[in-house]
Amino acid sequence: MNNLMTREKWQTIKSRYSIYLVLIVMIIVCNLLNENFLSPRNLSNISAQISVTTILAFGETILIIGGLLDLSCGSVLALAGVLSVYVFKETGSLSLAFAVGLIVGVLCNFVNGILVRRFNIPAFIATLAMMTVARGIALLFTKGQNLYQIGDYVWFGQGKIGFVPLPVFFMIIVGIVTWYILGHTSFGRSLYAVGGNEEAARASGINVGRIKIGAYLINGAFVGLAGILLMARTNVGAPNAGQGYEFEALTAAIIGGTSFSGGLGTAGGTLAGAFIVGFLNNIMNLTGVDSYLQQVIKGGIIALAVGYDMWAKVNRTRKTLGAAKLPNERKEAKA
Amino acid sequence: MKFMKSIRTVTAVAALCLAATTVAQAENYKIAFIARAQADSFAAWLANGIMDEVKKYPDMTVDVMDAQADDAKENAFIENAVANKYDLIIVQPNNGEAQRPYVEQAVKDGVKVITTNARIKDIPGSSSVDADPYEQAAVNARLALEQVPQGASVVVLNGPSGNMHADMRRDAWQKEFFDKRSDVKIVGEQIAHWNKEEAMRFMEDWVQANDKIDAVVSMNDNMAAGALEVVKDDPKFDKMLAYGVDGTAEAMLLIQEGRMTSTALQNAYDLAAKNISVAHDLLTGKIEQIDTDIDCPLVTKDNVAEFIEIHKKSGAIK
Repeated sequence: MNNLMTREKWQTIKSRYSIYLVLIVMIIVCNLLNENFLSPRNLSNISAQISVTTILAFGETILIIGGLLDLSCGSVLALAGVLSVYVFKETGSLSLAFAVGLIVGVLCNFVNGILVRRFNIPAFIATLAMMTVARGIALLFTKGQNLYQIGDYVWFGQGKIGFVPLPVFFMIIVGIVTWYILGHTSFGRSLYAVGGNEEAARASGINVGRIKIGAYLINGAFVGLAGILLMARTNVGAPNAGQGYEFEALTAAIIGGTSFSGGLGTAGGTLAGAFIVGFLNNIMNLTGVDSYLQQVIKGGIIALAVGYDMWAKVNRTRKTLGAAKLPNERKEAKA
Repeated sequence: MKFMKSIRTVTAVAALCLAATTVAQAENYKIAFIARAQADSFAAWLANGIMDEVKKYPDMTVDVMDAQADDAKENAFIENAVANKYDLIIVQPNNGEAQRPYVEQAVKDGVKVITTNARIKDIPGSSSVDADPYEQAAVNARLALEQVPQGASVVVLNGPSGNMHADMRRDAWQKEFFDKRSDVKIVGEQIAHWNKEEAMRFMEDWVQANDKIDAVVSMNDNMAAGALEVVKDDPKFDKMLAYGVDGTAEAMLLIQEGRMTSTALQNAYDLAAKNISVAHDLLTGKIEQIDTDIDCPLVTKDNVAEFIEIHKKSGAIK
């Protein structure tokens, strides 16, 4: 009996924390492959490299849990970033530039929220439209040219607090905020409910519209911050920056166990997902893997990691239901 | 006498009308500039240059179209320009071979075509204005032959695979440098898609994996600047050499500060000026066909000051 309990407990731990197990295995393997992997500088580099996309991924996690999505984050990031850089160049004020970046991110996502909530446009389409509009405005504003000589603005992306690079510090703060919102606020609980079953959530008195717009506003602040950090890290205000970042952010969230069907996901899982991708890129560069082969390996390992995570979750559901077959398997058997 | 005066008046009015008609016709040359992707900063620089340059020619107007790095869109723009009876099309190809049949068809339909940055070769009847991508990299590679120390470790940052400029620049480095310097070891080589942030990520990893990096060989300035950004506060890399191509404002400033070694200027203003002047000569019948290149001067610390002026003119450097 005791043995059975212990086995069940182990199964639960394994399935709940499977993504962290994958991460630990990766750390061990990477360390075996290259002695520099666990050096403080390398770990600091990896953290800084993934910070921008991880901040975006936290925003995507909040949205996906609520049954939403943001395809515009890469473009809004560029718009927020270049406007923020421009304001700094014109005024020399870091705080004003920082505020402008955040406000632009929030405003764009407020529009996303309104399009989704008031006009019932699917999130995919609404944010796709914003993706084009925001990129267009960034290019129009700069006439397609980079903004150079950004001076002290680089502090946001290259400064340090103690030994922690500032982008990593911001990533940790955003991670804690996400964790707190999702797990410790009524907004977070409502978000899970809306993403899990919108009709049921509405029937139970949750203001679905407000939750959705709220999710976009939080995402907007994260995207604006990511824009500021990226421009500062690269020491240039680039209107074409951040292309494809929406997919990197989505990848981190999905690898981290956020379910596209909504109502499922955690901040910790997303962070683990982002580190899995970061470790993978890093170790392949450290070991000199060919550029084309890198893409093949990356795709394969992501499929393996998510496959293992899904398999572990299915196992857990089986145990919880106490049945040998899942509902869809039962349907198939009946047919 | 009165009759003669009337004849003179009529003749004068007719002459004036004829002149006015001629001017009106001359003002009617419509040019379509189909840009590869205006999100690409060089393409945007070229488009802005073309719009500035055409103002010097009152008989020509230019409409800029953005193909957004998409072959299908670029081909559709070429077809639309023919259908809309533009007198001349300037094509900045996204992928030369994908645009070739459409350019050939435009020429067959009687429209004058210039291909630029990069040219599409061997299309009878079309003209081209370009900077030679092989030579742009080669001028840097020849300098590196003398500068890169014996047994050096170098890293290479490439442009997108299949892009003609990326491939020809890499080819130039191979033939002009790596084939002649078997002592040099490439300790890292990746595709960073012309992108500064991507180049930074690679460089951060290479710095970890290698005790020393003597030189960065980059197929454009943006990626070279990314690599330099990573090591800018590390005294271990003070003497690291860095080579790029394009002559962006950022590269000029880095060369002036002594952090970047050299670049080859691909001057979008020169390219724009030459495109517009060739367009005018083709449209006014001065020439029938031409293939011409702009210079790609090597920029080092010795001569960077004169090139910085170009960027001051554009407002990129204040």
